[in-house]
Amino acid sequence: MSGNLTTALSRAAQYAFITGIALFIAIPMLVIAVFSFDANRFPTIPWGGFSLQWHEAVFADDMIRDAFVNSLVVGFGTAVIATILGFAAAYIDYRYVFRGKTLFGLLVAIPPAVPVSILGMAMLAFLSRIGLFGSVEAIVACHVAIATSFAMAIIRLRLGEFPRDLEPAAWNLGASPFATLLTVVLPFCKPALIASFFLSAAVSFDEFLIAWFVGGVNETLPVRILNLLQGQVNPKINAIGTIVLIISIALVLVAQRFVGVRAGKTSQSNT
Amino acid sequence: MTAIEASMPPAPAPDAERGGYRARYAASPATMPVILGLPVLLWQVVFFAAPLVFLIVVTFWKVRSFRLEPDFSFDNWAKIILSTPFQRALVYTSEIAVLCTALTLIVALPAAYTIAFRLSSRLRDLAITFLIVPIFSSYMLRIYAWQIVLSPDGIINSLIKMTGLGGLPLLGGQLSLQIGLLTLTLPVAILILVLAFSGIDRTLIEAAENLGCRRSKIILHVLMPSIRNATFLAGSTAFLMSFGDYISPLFMTGSKPPTLSILIVDTVKSGSQWPRASVIGVTMLAILALVFLLANFLGRERKIQRRAK
Repeated sequence: MSGNLTTALSRAAQYAFITGIALFIAIPMLVIAVFSFDANRFPTIPWGGFSLQWHEAVFADDMIRDAFVNSLVVGFGTAVIATILGFAAAYIDYRYVFRGKTLFGLLVAIPPAVPVSILGMAMLAFLSRIGLFGSVEAIVACHVAIATSFAMAIIRLRLGEFPRDLEPAAWNLGASPFATLLTVVLPFCKPALIASFFLSAAVSFDEFLIAWFVGGVNETLPVRILNLLQGQVNPKINAIGTIVLIISIALVLVAQRFVGVRAGKTSQSNT
Repeated sequence: MTAIEASMPPAPAPDAERGGYRARYAASPATMPVILGLPVLLWQVVFFAAPLVFLIVVTFWKVRSFRLEPDFSFDNWAKIILSTPFQRALVYTSEIAVLCTALTLIVALPAAYTIAFRLSSRLRDLAITFLIVPIFSSYMLRIYAWQIVLSPDGIINSLIKMTGLGGLPLLGGQLSLQIGLLTLTLPVAILILVLAFSGIDRTLIEAAENLGCRRSKIILHVLMPSIRNATFLAGSTAFLMSFGDYISPLFMTGSKPPTLSILIVDTVKSGSQWPRASVIGVTMLAILALVFLLANFLGRERKIQRRAK
């Protein structure tokens, strides 16, 4: 009896603990979303009444609109290039054995592990040296260097389920390696490619330090928010924040749907 | 030439006379990996490796009248390593990163255990989505939200004041900083550990149960050793993220005292001191590399022992 009781208590404590962590993760996002509709200038309790004025103010703000357009361009460019490069890297890792393969893998995999404050500074120093600094293209180039890592991880995971004999079968039937790649391997990887596209877009849409360093006067949306945050309290921040949150959560959810990370699978993909 | 081959429509393949087709159109085994690999390689070299190498080179350069000039001197290293602000920031940053790593593991291990073993598979998938989303969405905004919650006139203090008590200085100390850093590290760490726990062979646990092991003993002797690698990975990832983070120190403690990341950004943005900022950056990278190698080494040790048995 007492054993059952302690088990029950321990279970209850565990569920409470998990709920607490879920709240810890959810509360910041909820606070942003809820207070974007608060009429008060400073977001706090008591609630100042429902209002859409800050959302309207956001849409009327030219700098925010420009930043939003920049973010869309950068996010889309990053997503396309990172997915293509990620696929190439994943296929090479899957298909070939060569000297320096580990180094090649590290070169693609490591960038997200380097703190962006250091990476941003290094990229700015180097890009200004070769005359690429201060453009939207520069932000795309740097974001791709990071996002390709995630794209490769996702696509490589999918290739792990690709039957080894399919490609040789296509070759034997007369298809060239390129034809095989385009008509056999690529369609098999389609869900992973879609996931990579959306995740790369999310990574780019979320990144602000590198964009801040190498973008010069071209602000992306997170950079605009960072600049707003360092100024005075600005109730618009919650309104932009809500929009940004919705977009980035949507991107990640779509990506996750297509990659289907489940707890049942082994932990190959965990970084 | 080979690039053209790549864009050739593959459709006529079955119609063409097979041997001849292959001979003319099939790329030789060596060209394919080169065509696929070269763009990736070049991209990562130019936009990732080269900047980092340049960062190291710049530490030996000089600044004359606001311009970088190639040089080879250890002046910058000596100036930074011996300066008190740098040493203080180094110690402080290491302290908060170690504390954050410890807190992350203390929270993440039981959380991951519960998610992996106590939730139904539907809830577990939901939990995993719940962990993946924050990793990729708007860390900066979530820190700003904590600022709203914790500030002197913020949500928690307003609630406290309604009950008639005085406000608490929640924002600006180690508490708020760690809340900010945990916002960053917890989802990643829990996710790594959940995947590791889920990868454990369930028959091992059943075997231990059948042999009369209590739950606590199973956790200690079966589960923990099985996820040893993942624990070190989660720990070193938490250390890496908190050590290099810029946003939490900036917004939760107002950069006081400054961390190394803050020091870097300040040194760069305040003007011409690129070489010195680079010294700080290279030092940080060296420390992080050491921590990762150490974690890797400690995580691997056990495997070799087990194999030797």
